[in-house]
This record gives sequence, structure tokens and C-alpha cells, in this order.
Amino acid sequence: MSQKIENLSAWVDGEYQQHQLLDELKSSELLAQKWQRYHLIRDGLRKELPEQLNFDIAANVAAAMEFEPSILAPKKSWRDLPLMTSVVPFAKQGGQMAVAASVAVAMIIGVQQFNQPELDQPFNSAPSILGIQGGLSPVSLEQTRTLPRTDVSEQRRVINAYLNDHKQQLRFKAVPLEEQADSVPHKISQQNDNVENTPQK
Amino acid sequence: MKTRRKNNLRGPLRQILLICLLSFGVAVHGNELQDNGVKPYPSDSAQAWLDKMSDAHSTLNYSISFVLLKPGVDSQPYLWRHGVDSNGEIMEQLNLLNGPGREVVRIGNKVSYFEPNVPPYSLQSSVINGPFPSDFFQQPEEVRASYDFVMVGRSRISGRAAQQIRVVSKDKTRFGMNLWLDQETGLMLKLNLVDLNGQLLEQIQVTACQVTEQPDPFFAKIELAVLPDVLKMRPPHDNKPIWNISYLPVGMIEIKRDVHRLPITGQSVEYVMLSDGLVDVSVYMREAQNDGLSQDILLRHESDTLLTRSQGPLNVTVIGKLPPKTANDIANSIRLAPNYD
Repeated sequence: MSQKIENLSAWVDGEYQQHQLLDELKSSELLAQKWQRYHLIRDGLRKELPEQLNFDIAANVAAAMEFEPSILAPKKSWRDLPLMTSVVPFAKQGGQMAVAASVAVAMIIGVQQFNQPELDQPFNSAPSILGIQGGLSPVSLEQTRTLPRTDVSEQRRVINAYLNDHKQQLRFKAVPLEEQADSVPHKISQQNDNVENTPQK
Repeated sequence: MKTRRKNNLRGPLRQILLICLLSFGVAVHGNELQDNGVKPYPSDSAQAWLDKMSDAHSTLNYSISFVLLKPGVDSQPYLWRHGVDSNGEIMEQLNLLNGPGREVVRIGNKVSYFEPNVPPYSLQSSVINGPFPSDFFQQPEEVRASYDFVMVGRSRISGRAAQQIRVVSKDKTRFGMNLWLDQETGLMLKLNLVDLNGQLLEQIQVTACQVTEQPDPFFAKIELAVLPDVLKMRPPHDNKPIWNISYLPVGMIEIKRDVHRLPITGQSVEYVMLSDGLVDVSVYMREAQNDGLSQDILLRHESDTLLTRSQGPLNVTVIGKLPPKTANDIANSIRLAPNYD
């Protein structure tokens, strides 16, 4: 067993490639647990752990399904009457067609939804800030609020002004100031030193 | 008979082993002597690799082609050359190869920018303001207060053996960086900016890298006399800070504060720049006005996050390569300074 565990460890590191290990992994609960832990340890060492750990989703889903009310076998009903046998297929077909039609409608709506013209960058991803209080939701086109037209263009102008100024400030960041103002904190003076102490190795 | 033969074999083997061990010991010892007093960390640590990187980037003559990839923008190919001439003067050139051209030349502490639609100008600085964190390449130790360096492993990048290093913020409030350094020279081969879930935000991929004995002949052709003059910047007015930012991520400090006008709209804003050595964040504060920014906005422009929110009479805008949550925390922590009357 210890040999298998060692093989597994090597396999997680990408240094062992015997496929029979996979079969053993599937059959052995112990190895499966080790497999999980080794990956967890590896991710931890590399600082790759996600913000939230969701252990064993598969097992949770399986457990949840256990508690699902099971679907009972259909009872005998009016459909089983001999007279109705010829009517039912027609009704069924009708039902299928209804389903197909509703799918088509959904498709059309969906396509219309997704084919809306994209607003210019960077405005294709501007959800309201209210959404981020509880936790960040992914930014997508659907969350873009529709704003009155004039507001949008004015907003765009202001945002572009901010983005431009940010770029400009980054560029002028390292420029040493001619006079040291008292309100300027210490990092600037540090930077001035750095300019003089440029690597001259 | 058998045992004797075994013994015979074991003799020379043991000798070889002994010699190997001895020479290895001497080699290790020699390294220790060299490093003694200079570097307090082992030579295969992330710190040592970053030292090697900053050394390589500031002393070698190299010519690097790389491609910058950003979300929502076409890929941008760059040529980046660096040289040290016989007088020890450091020369650097960064050239955007697509489109009308955008070129930056640095000779010593003078950085000249040549861009379309703007008359050329020079700034006094030791770093080029380009698509990569130049400060970090020159002085990686400056970001140790805010980031951890983790050795990850080796891989092959741009056809060369590379050492991967991960740069992770200590309090998980800033984006991380994956860095691949050339095993041989220590030059950067690939740089990924990743968000807190490890999703790629921005990438620099080196496509060709040449290290030469002599600086590139391009640098000999530069006529120093025709480089544009250095811009004189007005020192900021000495004004009392009205607003205080009470929350800053670990290692981030305020490096600049002034009041200026925005370029397009001409509005006057109070401005604060925050930096941790790797990312710079702009914080703008102004009185709330009815001009379209009355609503709270969060958007991502390329890899920058822009967040605007109103706090009573104050409108705060935070821009920078930050996760939205951190930007929000910074904006939320802004308060009226107690000494303001």
C-alpha cells in the first residue's frame, strides 16, 4: 500500500504515468482521499488555493439526490381505456409540438438578447455598485443598466477623463519634484533617492 | 569467491562516491563563501531569483521582443532593448511595433517619449513607463512589504528553460503575478497578471530574447542633443489634506497628493496616488455634482478597475489594477480629516 501511495504522490507531481494507478484510485477509498489531500497540499504550497474551498461537490449532490422525492410509477388512468388509444398519440404529438415551439420562442428571445449591439468599451461592463455589497457577481452584458441617453454620453465623458488622467498620473509619477512640499509623504523623497541611486553596477 | 569479488567492486565505487561527495562539498562551501555576508538567503530561493532578475535587467545588453495581451484590446507587439555603454551609461528603448509607432528612449535618467499627436517630451526618471512594472524589475525588494514570493517550478517558455515565481499579495487584496525567468540569464520571459481566482487578466509573452556582448548599434545612433527637453513640473500646492483614507491594503502607501483639473472635462479634483511598488492606484475626490456620475459605477477597462461611488456630498473614484472589492474598501474608508474646519 505504501508503494501505491508513493506512486500516487509521484503521479500528482507529474512524475509517474502508469495508468493502472488510475484504476486503483477509482477502486480504493483511501487512495482517493490521499489524492484529494495531495492536490490540496500542492495547491497550498504553491499558494494557488481559491478563496473558497468546496470539498466534494459530487458527494453532496449525491446525498441531496437521496432525499429527493422519487417519481412514482404512473397509475392507471383514462388513457388506458381502449377508446382513447387512438386519441392519445395525437395529443402527445401536439404536446411535443408545443414543446418544440416554446423552445423556438426561447431561442428567438435568447438570440435577440445576445445579439444586442455592444456598447463601446469600456461601457459594456458597468453593473450597478449595489451588486457588489454581498459578494462580487461576474460582470456581463446582462447586468448593464439602461440609462437615459444623455446621461450615458455625459457619464462616458467623465469616465474617459478619469481614465486619461490616471494614465497621465502614472507616467508623471516618477518625476522628481523641484521642491519638497511638507504635505508630500515620505515615499516621494525615497523615490528621488532611487533616481540618483540607479543601478550603476 | 563471490564475497571477494563484491568487495573488489565496492572498493573503487566507494572511492568514486567519496570523491564526488568531497568535490560537491567543496563546491557548496565555495558558494557559501561567495554569498557570505551578501545574501542571507539560499541561492535557489525566490528572493535570489529576483535579485538575479534585477541584476540581469539593469546590467546586461539585451534585445527582447514581446507581445502584450490585454482583454478587449488587440495584441500589441513591442521591442525592448537595453544596453550599458563603456562609460556605464544605461540606455533603454521601448518601441510599439504596430500602428503609427510609439517609442520611448531612456538615456541614464532622461526618458523621452515619442508619441503620435503629442509633441515629444522628456521626463526625468530612471524607469520607462511601459506595459510592464519597470520599478519591480529594477528593485524587486521594494515590494516585499506587500507581496510574498513563491518558487513554483520549472518549465519551458519561448524555447528556453524557465523558473516560475509567483508574486502574491500578503492580504489577498491585490492581483497576483506569475513570472517566468530565464534559467540562464534571469531575464523575464513571461508575465501573467492574475486575479484572486487565478484567472488571467493581462499577459506579456516574450517571443525572442537576445543577450549580446556589446550594446545594440541602435544606441550609438541616438543623438543626445536632439532629444526633447525635460519637462519642468510644477510642485504641488501645499494644501492641507481634507479627506483621509483610513483603509489601505498591506504595504500600500500614499505617494502623491495634489489638486488638479481633469483633462477632458476640466473639473477640479483632489487627487491621491497610492502605490505598493507593483500597482499604482489613483483616488479622486470631488464634490458630488449632477453630471452623470451621480450613480455608483463599477467597470473594468482593460485590466484596470474603475469604481465611482457617492458618499454623501463626496464623489469618490478609484482607478487601478485592483480587485473591485479592494477598490470599494478604499473608497468606503474615506472620511473628512479631523483637523479640517
